[in-house]
Amino acid sequence: MSDPVISLRGLSKRFGPVWANREVDLDLFPGRVHALLGENGAGKSTLMSILAGRYGADKGTLMMHGQEVTFSSPAKALDHGIGMVYQRFMLIESMSVADNLALTVGKKYGRRGVDYEIRQTAEQYGLAVDPEKRIFELSMGERQRVEIIKLLMLDAEVLIFDEPTSVLTPPEVDALFVIIDRLRGEGKTIVLITHKLEEVLKLADDISIMRKGRLIISEPIDARQMSRQQLARLMVGRDVVLRVDKKEVALGETVLALDGFSGDSPSGGPSFNEVTFEIRKGEIFSIIGVAGNGQTGLVSAIAGLSRAGAGTITFDGTSYTAREWAMASAAEIAYVPEDRYQSGSIGSMSIAENFGLTRLQAYRSGLAGLLLDREKMAADGRRAIGEHNIKVESSEASAGSLSGGNLQKVILARELTRKAKLFIAEQPTQGLDISATEDIWQALLECREKAGVLLVTGDLKEVLSLSDRIGVIFNGRILEIIDAHDSDRVDRVGLLMAGVRS
Amino acid sequence: MIEDLTFIAQISIKSSVAVLLATVGGIITERSGVLNLGIEGMMLVGALAGFAAGHFTQSPVVAVAAGTMAGGALSLVHAFFTIALRSNQVLSGLALTILGTGLANFLGRPLIGQTGVRIRQLPIPYLSDIPVIGEVFFNQSPFAYAAYLLVPLAWFVLFRTRTGLVLRAVGEDARSADVAGVNVELTRTLSVFVGGLFAGLAGTYLSLSYTPGWKETMTGGQGWIAIAMIIFCTWNPLLAFFGALLFGGLTALQFFFQATSMDLIPSYVLKMLPYLLTIGVLVLVSASSRHRKSASPADLGVPFYREL
Repeated sequence: MSDPVISLRGLSKRFGPVWANREVDLDLFPGRVHALLGENGAGKSTLMSILAGRYGADKGTLMMHGQEVTFSSPAKALDHGIGMVYQRFMLIESMSVADNLALTVGKKYGRRGVDYEIRQTAEQYGLAVDPEKRIFELSMGERQRVEIIKLLMLDAEVLIFDEPTSVLTPPEVDALFVIIDRLRGEGKTIVLITHKLEEVLKLADDISIMRKGRLIISEPIDARQMSRQQLARLMVGRDVVLRVDKKEVALGETVLALDGFSGDSPSGGPSFNEVTFEIRKGEIFSIIGVAGNGQTGLVSAIAGLSRAGAGTITFDGTSYTAREWAMASAAEIAYVPEDRYQSGSIGSMSIAENFGLTRLQAYRSGLAGLLLDREKMAADGRRAIGEHNIKVESSEASAGSLSGGNLQKVILARELTRKAKLFIAEQPTQGLDISATEDIWQALLECREKAGVLLVTGDLKEVLSLSDRIGVIFNGRILEIIDAHDSDRVDRVGLLMAGVRS
Repeated sequence: MIEDLTFIAQISIKSSVAVLLATVGGIITERSGVLNLGIEGMMLVGALAGFAAGHFTQSPVVAVAAGTMAGGALSLVHAFFTIALRSNQVLSGLALTILGTGLANFLGRPLIGQTGVRIRQLPIPYLSDIPVIGEVFFNQSPFAYAAYLLVPLAWFVLFRTRTGLVLRAVGEDARSADVAGVNVELTRTLSVFVGGLFAGLAGTYLSLSYTPGWKETMTGGQGWIAIAMIIFCTWNPLLAFFGALLFGGLTALQFFFQATSMDLIPSYVLKMLPYLLTIGVLVLVSASSRHRKSASPADLGVPFYREL
């Protein structure tokens, strides 16, 4: 191997009392893809943000070609040829591709030169994109390509990708891999921050694994010799059981029954038609489907957030028409929404406050119940943090400061304490790492001992691991309800999701 | 009849210059993501400084420079609080108006009733000989001519130059602009300053040319009209021209009614009308345009922090 382009030595960074990075040593080599692996909140993104000049390090040195360097801003890092494709793209949505690129590289090429260079760069690396389009008109994959072009036009040597596939569709992922492979061929140094093991095995030459801010494998290891299980074990720090242990639970009374339930999605999305099923206490009933087949509207109508057009719904023995149901208040339903940032929590409020949000009645005190018992709220918040293994310093930290997995656990813990008869979980583990996923799965399985669980997801593995019965939704209709004990269920569910009825 | 209309049109232009300059300055400031509600205060301080400098030096050039710079200087207070200290932009802007108004009224007390320099109408040779149009547009004060140049210039700089691209990028998405290598703080500070210069110039126009002399609170709320106009003109300097003309036109009509002794309507109601109708018309016009919301700079009013 040639000399490293980048060497980090003893790099440390803290946010308040939390060490995001501790004593990290890392070497990056030209012409190789270096995967930086770790769970949510392990410190991968922070480490690379330091390299890209977005954060300053508290301790340690950063060397480039053997020379010590410090970057006071992302622009300085770019001057040295280090660029990052962030998870949240750094593009100005209302402006065109050409304007966005001119903003960064305009000084170097001049406004006319920019247009020419875009075409040149796009052609050289196979990055098709229309310079006249505005960013908001582009797909996520195209936006990512704009970011890559931007770095290449600045002659970046080191390209850091932060979870690059999390926003892409499968064909876009394949296209990205081709691009990365090409960049590697041109001698660029690539860093891939990820927690997806498949990607690492497919693409990486070197691997570093981070856990709790430290690099636990400080020597790069040859990717080809690692198995998925070995990687997962290194990442989480214990053996990963991807199968859950699922107790038998006796079925209880029917909690929820839908009959001929139809309606539209609130935001003009696809509608759902004639949905009929029932959920009993003691079971997990899953609705699985490719995103955009009406499940969003269906869940929102069941949760009472929007009004269905027709059909009846029976909850805990009482029947409602679609109209009555939307008006029925305070029905005891626990709900973990898909968007944990927008609908599930309030980022600027503390964990304790978020924890109390859906159960404010429980914290009434004083002055005929007009005051809020914050002590009790904080105590409950602390208990949940302990019980659910949530990684945070205090219950007073803001919800927005939590990583996705930890925030989801807070929301889940909150909804579990409502002791509702029906528990709805919508895409509960989307974007979470193995360890958080496992915790959430376990919690859902325990939940079904006391309630009926409706799980809505697009993740086949999740459905097969957890469900007692599976309803496959396609084009707004439940095509079939399959028993989890069915032996050829795996194939059937997959085909039904694609709309194929046997 | 033609004479009357020409006269009204000429007064319309005259009455719209201050609002126009202030609006365009405000657009430049807001396009960079900083909301400045201090326009009224900056205009007043500009008006006083311009008048005072003229009174003591008798030099029109010094007067205009002093008034303009005074607006710019006051805007730097806003820049310091909102950009360096990242305090709330609404509060800081309101404080600026209160401070500017109080300061100008207090310091200006000895100057009430005094005479200063007066910048008169200056017909442009040849152009002012064109029938009607010449009289309306080219028999104006130099401030109006400056506005004719500054408005398209502001548009050109904002939308056709690299400087404008940088400025707008900062206002749309400061974090992305920062990553792109733009100095967000400097860009915003300069934009606030330029906005202050425009407001100062607008105020100077009032005290040197439009209604020469110093009177307490002589801006009469034109700074607030400018703030409304910024929004309704979708942050576009060229549209500000039409918005300002609307206000100027209504003001001219009010003069006309007063002058032709139509006593049916009390003069206080007449004086109120330009403000009321301008806002009313602007609301109606912009309610029908769907692009208004998306035209707002996305990061307007959002302080910028590098570390999140």
